[in-house]
Amino acid sequence: MHNTLKLTVSHAPFWHNGSRISSKSSNIFLASLLAVVPGCLQYGPAAVGVVTLSIATAILWELAFNFISRRPFSIGDGNAAVIGMMLAMMLPATTPWWAVVTGTFFAVVIGKEIFGGIGANPFNPAVLAVTILMVSWSGLFDFNAALLNYDFDFMAVYPLVLSKSFGAGAVDSLSLADLLMGKQIGGIGATFGLGLIVGGVYLMLRGYIRWEISIAFLAGILVAALGFSVANPTQYAGPGFHLFTGYTLLGAFFLATEDASSPVNFIPMIIYGLIGGILTVMIRNIGVHIDGVLYAILIINLVNPLLDKIRPKAIGKGV
Amino acid sequence: MIKRSFFGLVKPKLHYEVIDEAPAEPVSITGVKQTKLFIAQSPGQAGEEMLKVGDPVKAGQKITLAPDAKAYATAAAGGQIAEISDFIGLLGKKYTMVTIDGSAGGDPGEDDAFKALSQSPSLENAAAYLAGLPGKPDFTPFFDKEKKVKAIVVCGADRDLLTTTNQYFVRNNIIAIKTGIDLLCRITGISNAILVVPQHLEQVAGSSGAIVKTVDSEYPSAHPELIMQHLLAADEGKSAAAGIAFFSAEAVCAIGAAYSTGKLPMEKIITVITKDGNQRLVSAPIGTPLQSILSEFGETLNEGDRVIFGGPMTGVSVFRTDHPVTPDTDAIIVQDAGDVMERTDTACTNCGECIRVCPVNIQVNMLIRLLEAGEYETAADQYDLFSCIECGLCTYVCESRIPVFQHIKLAKHTLESMKAAEETNA
Repeated sequence: MHNTLKLTVSHAPFWHNGSRISSKSSNIFLASLLAVVPGCLQYGPAAVGVVTLSIATAILWELAFNFISRRPFSIGDGNAAVIGMMLAMMLPATTPWWAVVTGTFFAVVIGKEIFGGIGANPFNPAVLAVTILMVSWSGLFDFNAALLNYDFDFMAVYPLVLSKSFGAGAVDSLSLADLLMGKQIGGIGATFGLGLIVGGVYLMLRGYIRWEISIAFLAGILVAALGFSVANPTQYAGPGFHLFTGYTLLGAFFLATEDASSPVNFIPMIIYGLIGGILTVMIRNIGVHIDGVLYAILIINLVNPLLDKIRPKAIGKGV
Repeated sequence: MIKRSFFGLVKPKLHYEVIDEAPAEPVSITGVKQTKLFIAQSPGQAGEEMLKVGDPVKAGQKITLAPDAKAYATAAAGGQIAEISDFIGLLGKKYTMVTIDGSAGGDPGEDDAFKALSQSPSLENAAAYLAGLPGKPDFTPFFDKEKKVKAIVVCGADRDLLTTTNQYFVRNNIIAIKTGIDLLCRITGISNAILVVPQHLEQVAGSSGAIVKTVDSEYPSAHPELIMQHLLAADEGKSAAAGIAFFSAEAVCAIGAAYSTGKLPMEKIITVITKDGNQRLVSAPIGTPLQSILSEFGETLNEGDRVIFGGPMTGVSVFRTDHPVTPDTDAIIVQDAGDVMERTDTACTNCGECIRVCPVNIQVNMLIRLLEAGEYETAADQYDLFSCIECGLCTYVCESRIPVFQHIKLAKHTLESMKAAEETNA
């Protein structure tokens, strides 16, 4: 008595809350524009060129890798575009085109696709790529040299270089409000602190990033920077300075929170963020590198699988 | 369908359906010519078949494949057996589907095998005749020699979203529930009866005479496993959780009515939700085919639509339009082909939504990685596969739209059948 009408058969549940990876990607993308657009206004067409080239080549690398590995095309989830955006946010506006293309190759292919694509990357792809670029061509990330030909209405010196070379006294003259409003040089999307904070809070409220990580990261920065500056106020700048310079806000809201490379349980998220923040300040203050955010994030990415072993006990018969 | 809230920081809140002060009387489905029953045994296993096409069946008759077979179904209406066929259910479980045609021949009358026994209620005759009643009462815990049943829990709250069957009985028929509980206590010799109801029904439930406990309105708090853990284990220690027999309010009403009238009540209360989202309470005899119910509301099915027997979180989608109402069908939901959400095989992105939503703290993100790779034993040993209470929430919130629940079910089934095979070979 079968008739020919074919009904859809699938497994429970038959409802879904409608979330999808692409909507998360587009929200992160939009939130990042809050910092990228002011950055582009500050640095002009060169910055627009870097951002667009970075996004475009990130998508193309993913497409190319999908093609040669004969896997379904995954650029529709928007993750490649987000990686391109994150990468561009960290670069100076004068980055040459070949460095951008190489950077997106490292991010998308080496950072993500060879591990199996979205969700399988052990490190934040954009952070990994920028670190590789930084180690390979350290001259590219000398912000003072890179942005030499710009004419700004504020002191055009990378603040972290100042504090590292000349101690806390050299950065006393920088007002925190100016730093927050982007009156400093740095990466295209890393200097306008207000935009990063608004974007980050938006993402936290919408649940697209895990607030525990961002808050713990910032708390780590504050605690460590405070400790250093109390111990030696002439050499080490205060917590406010560390909060609004370098990649700190970008790292806290956009980089450390990347899904696949960060923990998901409450206590691990807090530890993960705290270690990230503390390491950042330690690398800045007593390490050889100028900014510690990227190295700190790579290290916490590395300990993430271990941290996530700290988990609540399952309730019920299995235990 | 309830979508993700704008502020994703808050956990998704799925609330159980609450019926109003005076619920509408259920729409009765009558004049159904053909009914279909499932017997949990495949025709091949019966050996020398007793059941034949053309056999007369009386209303309320117990139908078995062979005279001494344990598995049985109860006919809601009389008639002649028109067809006996194989039916494969979820995870390959084998059933026999028996079609009874009531249109041919005269009325064969009512079966009186139970009527004689109803004068002397006992656990044995309840188990032998009442398992096919609406609400699917399960008497097997009482026959388990190793675990002694210490308490009877009657669920007046519904297990899944959108369903209102049990609430309907608590609100409209608390007297029948009291009769049923008293009877169950008498035949089992257990005095500890607990009635679990949603908060808004606490007052009504008070007159049942049983201990009343309430559950939250938020899914999945009325899940039997969670009731056991949160309400009972907290009071009486972990050992209490071991020996509990669960009955639905509907089943208790039916048991009470069966013994007091000597007739088996076979009308099942179902919430029917059509494509336009309208909800109606329906009363239909067990065995009523799907299309008879849908035609009552002028609903037509098109290619690609989905019909769900049970709630939206834990139900089963059916593949034929004549699928019958079974003793545990609490809801029938029709979804338009356009509303069917596709599942994908995108990898887990580790967003952690499932972990925040899991009521029993399973590390779903790790579990699903193992399950996708087929590492079922590791999943069970290290990532609490068997703690899963099968509420479906992880799959509801999954951003990658992975069919997590299906993976879990398959893993459990595979491990259990492996264990069963080992035991038979040992």
